[in-house]
Amino acid sequence: MKIRSLLISLSIFTSLGAMAQGNFSPYSQMGIGDLEDGYYNRTSGMANTGQAYRNNRFLISNNPASYSGLTDQFFTLEMGIRGSLINYYGTPVDPSSKQSGDITFRRLAMGMKLAKHWGSSIGLVPFSTQNYEYDVPYYLQGSSSELANLHYSGHGSVNKVYWGNAYEFFHHLSVGVEAGYLFGQLNQKSSIQNLGSGTTLASTTNTVDLNNLYMQYGLQVYGHIGKKWEYSLGGTFNSRNDLLASYNRIVLDNDSINRNSQQLSQSYLGVPNAFGAGLSITHNQKYTFVADFRHQAWGAEKNAYPGKNYTVVDANRGSIGFEISRKKSFYNSKVELSYVQAGAYYGDSYLQINGKQIKDYGVTAAFGVNGLKTPLSYNVIFQYGIKGTQNNNLIEQRYFNLTFVVNYGAIWFTRGKKYD
Amino acid sequence: MTINNYLKKETHLLLSVLSLFSLLSCQKQPKLNFGQDYIGDNGAANIVLVDTATVRMSTVRVDSSATAGTGYLQVGSYTDPYFGNIYSRAFLQVGLPGSFPTINQFDGYDSIGLIMLFKKGNPHYGDTTVTMNYKINQVTDLYELNESINQRGFYSNSSFNINPNPLGSASFSLYPSIPLTSQGLGDTLKIRLNDSLGQAMFNMIYNNSDSIKKSQNFLNWFHGLCISPDTSVGKGIIYGFSDSILLRVYYHEVGAVTSYKTIDFGITNKSFQFNNIITDRSNSVLAKLKPAPTGQGQNPLTTVSDSIGNAGYIQSITGLNVKLTFPYLNGIAHRQDYLSVIRAVLTVKPVPTSFSTTWTLPPQLSIDYTDLNNLIGSPIPSSTTGQAQTGNMTVNYSVPLNTVYTYDVTNFIKAQIVNVSPNATDQGIMLNTPPPASTNSFVRAILADGSTPINQRVTLTIYYLSLYPHN
Repeated sequence: MKIRSLLISLSIFTSLGAMAQGNFSPYSQMGIGDLEDGYYNRTSGMANTGQAYRNNRFLISNNPASYSGLTDQFFTLEMGIRGSLINYYGTPVDPSSKQSGDITFRRLAMGMKLAKHWGSSIGLVPFSTQNYEYDVPYYLQGSSSELANLHYSGHGSVNKVYWGNAYEFFHHLSVGVEAGYLFGQLNQKSSIQNLGSGTTLASTTNTVDLNNLYMQYGLQVYGHIGKKWEYSLGGTFNSRNDLLASYNRIVLDNDSINRNSQQLSQSYLGVPNAFGAGLSITHNQKYTFVADFRHQAWGAEKNAYPGKNYTVVDANRGSIGFEISRKKSFYNSKVELSYVQAGAYYGDSYLQINGKQIKDYGVTAAFGVNGLKTPLSYNVIFQYGIKGTQNNNLIEQRYFNLTFVVNYGAIWFTRGKKYD
Repeated sequence: MTINNYLKKETHLLLSVLSLFSLLSCQKQPKLNFGQDYIGDNGAANIVLVDTATVRMSTVRVDSSATAGTGYLQVGSYTDPYFGNIYSRAFLQVGLPGSFPTINQFDGYDSIGLIMLFKKGNPHYGDTTVTMNYKINQVTDLYELNESINQRGFYSNSSFNINPNPLGSASFSLYPSIPLTSQGLGDTLKIRLNDSLGQAMFNMIYNNSDSIKKSQNFLNWFHGLCISPDTSVGKGIIYGFSDSILLRVYYHEVGAVTSYKTIDFGITNKSFQFNNIITDRSNSVLAKLKPAPTGQGQNPLTTVSDSIGNAGYIQSITGLNVKLTFPYLNGIAHRQDYLSVIRAVLTVKPVPTSFSTTWTLPPQLSIDYTDLNNLIGSPIPSSTTGQAQTGNMTVNYSVPLNTVYTYDVTNFIKAQIVNVSPNATDQGIMLNTPPPASTNSFVRAILADGSTPINQRVTLTIYYLSLYPHN
C-alpha cells in the first residue's frame, strides 16, 4: 500500500512538474490570454454543456444554481488534470518544430449540501493563461544593418477562486450566486539577443498583477414531464467589472544588472458582461440531451485592450451533448455505476486578429466509473478540436486533450443516518 | 470482488492515466516567427546604436624608442610621403673570438671585411629597387652608458661620435623577398674594410698582444662600429640585418700548400647594440608636429589631427603614437532614454591610400589607457576575455577600405561616459605598436579623423540600453 501511495505521489509530482512547460499558445499574448472555456467536471464529456444540468454527486460549476442538486449532507471533492497535444499549422510555424504537449492541473473544487435546499461549493480554476515564445528579427535602433533577435515570451495566468451557493425553491427552481475573485500575474519578457551567440544583451520584464471580483448569477428551472421525462432550463449572468492591473517593469542589461525597476501607474482592464442559457432533457433517468449557448460582451471592453493588429470582440459559443447513464437499483433509489458521454461545440473567441475572428470547434467523448465500494469516481474525457485558421498569416492549432477528473464523495454529518 | 481488489484496480487505472500524461508532456515546443505583426509599443527597453560620437584624434610624439638589443641592425634611409625623411644607423661592439689560431712568421694577412646577414622575413621599409651605399665607421667614444646622466640603456636617440673617415663602404641593391643582394652572395653582404685595421688586428694576434687577451682590453682598443647609409647616394630602404654580424680577417698559411684561412670577430654585448634613428619631417605633412620632449620629466605633447592633414600617425619606432579622446561622451549619458552602456566597439581604419605591401601596416595595434600626461598606460582589456587587445587586423590590399582593426572598449567607455572629473576629456586611448614591432620595425599607420566620411575614419560605436520614460 505504501509503495502504491509512493508511486501515485511520484506520478502526480512528475505530472505537475511538467506544468512548467505548458503548451505555447501563440495568441495568448493578446488580451488577457487564452480564456478557459472548460469546466473539467461531469459536463466536460458533453463539450462542457451544462447550464441546465443538475447532478446529485458532481459539482456542476457551469451554473452555480446547480449546487442545490447535490444529495443532502453530501460532501464532494473534485480534481481535474488535463494532458494536451497540439499540432500547429500556418506560415509562421517552423515546419521542423510544430508540435507540443503538456500536462496541467486545471481544477480543484469542493462542495457540500449544507442544508436541505442549500448547496455550496468553493474552488480554484484557471480563468485565462498566457504562454508564448517567439522570435522576431530586430534592427538595432540607429542602424540599418545590425540585426539582433528579439525574443518575446509571456507566461502567467489569471485564476479564479470562487464560492458558489445555490438555494432551491419550490422543488423546481434553484437560484445561485458565485462570488469569484480573479487574481494572477502575467509576465511578459522581451529579450534582445545576439543573433549569432544567442546571448541576451538586454531584457525587459513587464509584470502585470491583476485582481478583482467577478460575480456570476445562475438560475435553473426543472421538473418532470410525465413519468419518464425530466427537463431543466438554466441560465447564467456575469456582471462586468474592472480588473485592477498593477504594472511593474524591470530592465536588465547584458550583465544581468538591474538598470531600471519601476512600478508603473495602475490601470483597469475589464471582464465583460456575459450570459449563458441551456437546456437539459433526460429520459428514463438514462439518456440526457443538453444544449448551451454562451455570450461574452468583450467588444465593450476593447478600449482596455489596445493592441497591434488585433482587437477584442464579442465571443459566442454553442454546444450540445448527450449522455447515457448506467444505473442500478439499490433499495428505493437508483445508484449510477458508469456513464458515457459525447458532445460537440463551436465558438467564436474574443480575439479578432488581422480582421479574422479566431474560431474554436471540436468534439468530445468521455466515460466515467463510480466506485460502489469506494468513495471515488473517475471520469476520462477525450477532446479533439481546431482553433484558429491558416488564412491571413495566422496559426491553426489542432489539439487533442485527455482530461482526467477524480471525484471523492461522502455523506457527512449524518448522525448515524445515511439515507432518507 | 473485495474492497482490496477494487482499490488495486483503481490504483492501476490512476497510475496508467498519470503515466500517459507524463509521456504527453515530453514534447518540445513549436518554433514561431510572426515577424513584426503583433509588436506594439510595450514599453520595453531598446538597444540604441550610436556611431557618431566625436573622436578627437591627436598624434603624440615621444623623443625615442628602445631600439637596443632588438636582434636587428636597422640600416638605411627612406623618404616616406607621410612621415618625411627617416635615417637609421646601427651601433655595435665587436668582441673577441673564443680562441685564436697560431700564426707563424710565414703566414700573411690578406684582407678584412664586414659580413652582414639577412634572411627572408627580416623587417624592411622602403623601395627595394634603389641602390644603397653603406659606410662603416669606427666609434671613437668609449662604448658605454653615460653614468653622468644616469643612462640605463640605449635608445633610438642615442649615438656616439665616430671617426669621419669610413673604414669601408659598399654599394648594392637588396632583394629581401628572395633573399639576394646585387653582390650575388645570397643572403650575405660583404663590405671590404680598410687594410690598416686588418693588418693591425692580424699583427696583434701574431704578437699575442695584451689587447686581445681580455675582452675589455680589446673593447678599449676597438670601441665599436657604426654602420650607416650614405644619404648622398640614394634613399631607398631601411633594412633590418640580423645581429649575427662578423668582422672577418682573411689570411693565408704558407706550407707545402698555401691555405686560406679566416678569423671571425663577432658582435658582443648584443643588448648594447642599438639603432640610432633620425627623422627630418620638415618637408612632410608632419612638419607642424609639436616637438618631442627634450628634458627629463617632460611629458610628450599632442598635435591635433586638423593641423597635420586631418589624420593621426602611428610609427612607434620613430616615436609617433595616436591618442584618441571622446570629449562629448557625457552627452550620451545625459540622453533622456539612456540607461547603461551595453557594448562599445572602436573601429580603426587606416587611410586607404596610405598603406601597401611596401608601406606595411602594423600587424598589431595596442590600445592602452592614457591621460593628460599623454603617456602609455596599462592595456585596455576586452570586456569578454579580459585580455589585452591588438586589433585582430583584417587586411585587404585590393579593397583597402575593408582593412580594419577592431577593439572591444566597453569597459573603458562604461567608465568614461560617467566620468565627470575635470581631466575627463584628456583621458583616452593610446593606439601604439606593441613590442617587438615598436622597436624593430618601421611599420606605420595613418588614420583619418572625423572630417572624413564615416566609413573611412576611426569610429566609436556605442550600444546603449535605452528606455523612454513611461508613467
